Amino acid sequence: MAEREPVIGIDLGTTNSVVATVQAGTPVVIKNRAGSNLTPSVVALAKSGKLLVGSIAKRQAITNPNDTVYAAKRLIGRKFSSQQAQDAIAALPYTVVPGEHDDLRVKLGDRHYALPEISALVLRELKADAEQFFGRPVKKAVITVPAYFNDGQRQATKDAGKIAGLEVLRIVNEPTAAALAYGFGKAVSGKIAVFDLGGGTFDVSVLEVGNGVFDVIATGGDTFLGGEDFDNRIIEWLCFDFAKEHGIDLRKDRMALQRLKDGAEKAKIELSTAKETQVNLPFISTPQGPGGAALHLQKILTREKLEELCGDLVQRTVKICDQVLGEAKVRQTDLKEMILVGGMTRMPKVVEAVKQYFRRDPCKGVHPDEVVALGAAVQAEALTGEASNVLLLDVTPQSLGVAIAGGYVRRLIPKNTTVPTSVTEVFNTSRDSQTTVKIMVLQGESEIAHQNELLGEFILTGLREARRGEVEVDVTFDINSEGIVSVSAKDRETGQQQSIQVTASGGLTEDELKHILDEQADLLLEAKSSEEIKARKAELLQLVADVKAVLPKVAKSTQGTDFGTQVVAKANQALDAAQRAAEGENLAAVVSNVDALSKTLNLLNGVVQRMGG
Amino acid sequence: MTEHVELEPERQQEILSLEAKLDTANLFEVLGVPAGAGVDEVRAAFRELSLKFHPDRFFGKKLGSFKPKLDRIFRKLVEANQTLTDDTKRAAYLAANPFVRAAVRQAGNTVGPAAQAPKSAEDEQRDAERRARLARHPYLMKAGKVQEEVGRAKAAVAKGEFSQAFTFLNQALAIDPTHVEAKALMVEVRRKNEIARGESDLKRAQEALERGDDTAALAAFKSASNVDPKNFTAAFKAASMMERRGVDPKEVSPLAQRAVDVDPKSVEARLLLARVLEAGGMKQLAKRHLEEAAKLDPNHPEVKKSGKRLWPF
Repeated sequence: MAEREPVIGIDLGTTNSVVATVQAGTPVVIKNRAGSNLTPSVVALAKSGKLLVGSIAKRQAITNPNDTVYAAKRLIGRKFSSQQAQDAIAALPYTVVPGEHDDLRVKLGDRHYALPEISALVLRELKADAEQFFGRPVKKAVITVPAYFNDGQRQATKDAGKIAGLEVLRIVNEPTAAALAYGFGKAVSGKIAVFDLGGGTFDVSVLEVGNGVFDVIATGGDTFLGGEDFDNRIIEWLCFDFAKEHGIDLRKDRMALQRLKDGAEKAKIELSTAKETQVNLPFISTPQGPGGAALHLQKILTREKLEELCGDLVQRTVKICDQVLGEAKVRQTDLKEMILVGGMTRMPKVVEAVKQYFRRDPCKGVHPDEVVALGAAVQAEALTGEASNVLLLDVTPQSLGVAIAGGYVRRLIPKNTTVPTSVTEVFNTSRDSQTTVKIMVLQGESEIAHQNELLGEFILTGLREARRGEVEVDVTFDINSEGIVSVSAKDRETGQQQSIQVTASGGLTEDELKHILDEQADLLLEAKSSEEIKARKAELLQLVADVKAVLPKVAKSTQGTDFGTQVVAKANQALDAAQRAAEGENLAAVVSNVDALSKTLNLLNGVVQRMGG
Repeated sequence: MTEHVELEPERQQEILSLEAKLDTANLFEVLGVPAGAGVDEVRAAFRELSLKFHPDRFFGKKLGSFKPKLDRIFRKLVEANQTLTDDTKRAAYLAANPFVRAAVRQAGNTVGPAAQAPKSAEDEQRDAERRARLARHPYLMKAGKVQEEVGRAKAAVAKGEFSQAFTFLNQALAIDPTHVEAKALMVEVRRKNEIARGESDLKRAQEALERGDDTAALAAFKSASNVDPKNFTAAFKAASMMERRGVDPKEVSPLAQRAVDVDPKSVEARLLLARVLEAGGMKQLAKRHLEEAAKLDPNHPEVKKSGKRLWPF
């Protein structure tokens, strides 16, 4: 039999990326051609017009800040007009411009690159490293993303893989991958937590592992919380004092900003082992005008000061941990192990906070920078290998629903639902003579529609003209094992159907989304608590049966008495009303009949008891 | 013609048979667990079945017509797992499916998912030790005593011995007057006692009626209504018997009023109260109750009749 086609796992990080594979049953990191395990996720256009990727691009960043792109992961799959993208752009030295569909484009030289194109350059580099390692072409890969990435960001990452010439077998969540690497080949069973604080994002997941099954119970995080934010705090602190002294805002100077960024990151890393460090940036600024002497920046940063600057960021991670444990219904003491992932978990303050919260020492023996890529390789192997014993049961990180009348959300798939999954719910028209409904697919946890991410929308037309609430539409959400969301709506009467597969989108600003929603308020559906009505009807029918069963006894035992005839007449009346209500769809009527009939039943039962049956 | 798919015949068979029963089986049956199985059991079954039916187990394989079947199976497994491991969803599912609920009840399992896995003997022993140690603590000895009394009271309630339960609860409350459970139980015992006495009075009344001893029956109905003011039949019967016997309307009206209070939707009680009030000279009030009765049942012959009579005030 021919040797099996090689498959790789890629951790496409905010600051660094890693590629790995499974060899002879063991996951291993593939070193890049420079001999390093980590490849900086940096792309640059050199003055010579050549595109540089990785450490070579990172090295020249200081002298070429305008044409060096880093932290692309913070922008991928986002909308230019979104607040988050705008905030990120403000702190970046390179130029970002809006694309045609409100997406983001990075300017390198004269060309505008879409974000997936930038990430593809990094992926292509890693693919080349892997091909060197195997000595033959590599086509199939699993790529990881932060668990808290939304659908648009996942799609964009997949696109990046395609552009790089890779068949992306699966997009896997980073903390899940870490757990896979940790548990692979060991006979672990029990609940574990993964705390993943990387360069740009924070994720925490709780999994239950046993028998080769990795079952994600809950996951949560923040896509704008990571090492870059810690760096920015240091930069702010440096700039603030500098501005006070010299009246110059260093952040306005791209070259200076790039050097500050470098200096801040270096200082932060040093403070993980040292108690204090010096930030030394000579000739950081040359004031305009004649006689202006060059200014230098020289400051001592202590670990204590750093912890003060970043204390709230650390607290945010703890808060999210608490949330996720709550969602998983797991206490700290139930956890068998806790795994730290990401370069930022080397910071003593972070370790201390985590230890204090989880009340245990984190697991030793996983490499925080490499474990995610190793896990991706394990999943790639599990998918393509024969007779694999690993199964990953991953979940949806965020809830999915549709916008309904009044500007609210009806959730069809709650967060932390195992995928693949599908859910159908019945909706009603919300206006008289409404012949068209608009299905707006939303992702997020807010009850208010416009505070969620809009994944996509479509229209179902040709509904029968009828009173509000009379026309019923089945809305079905389906997430396949690739995590791809598709939504369909079907008119129950005509069987007419419309559907979309949600493709890259996301990132409208709150205002825009609100505006769109306001405009389309007339077209939305009204949620119908179909489950409740079903449940109540069942209850009512049960009561009807019970009353019918007991009524003859009552009639017999009270025969001839006024009381008896009255009771029987009343009971028959109640039965008629109940049966009518059970045939209709009016929830209020069903509920009031349930109440009335249960009273009747009590009365009848009471009579039977007293009469001795 | 057999389809060429990359699946062992055994697995094909499993897929076909599970898929065939998806539409009729309840969620417990889908997972192959006993009705009413607890959260841990449900999750374990889900994981085990996932190893067999998760689409990733067939990644890149030729599945032909088995693909949609597998998709349907796994989605149903997810639904079952998701529903039965969430308190709210499980309760809603059971409420909507009386047959499943009945099966759960019959299996003797709790309807809620709170059912915990049985503790190991070791845990059990450790728990017992811990409890014994705690009980020796001077502060907790008091609490332990209270708990003991409350426990006895509960047992007495279960047997229907309410006066005994009263004694135990009084003792418990003498030690700790603020004990929440004891206080709550006291209220419950009082109410149950009322109901029980009311019920026995009603029975007596019925027996008296059958003997033809109307006086005794009336006394018993009245007594039943006094011990259990929330019993509709007692109040209504007592009031209507008194009305028939021509008792002073002032004496009848509180009982009639009570019957209406207990069941405001009863037309008969409204009419009775209206008649009594009218006889007592309180026509305004009587009219109001007649109107209520008319709202409840406009076609009632007496309503129509009385309506005409009371109309021109």
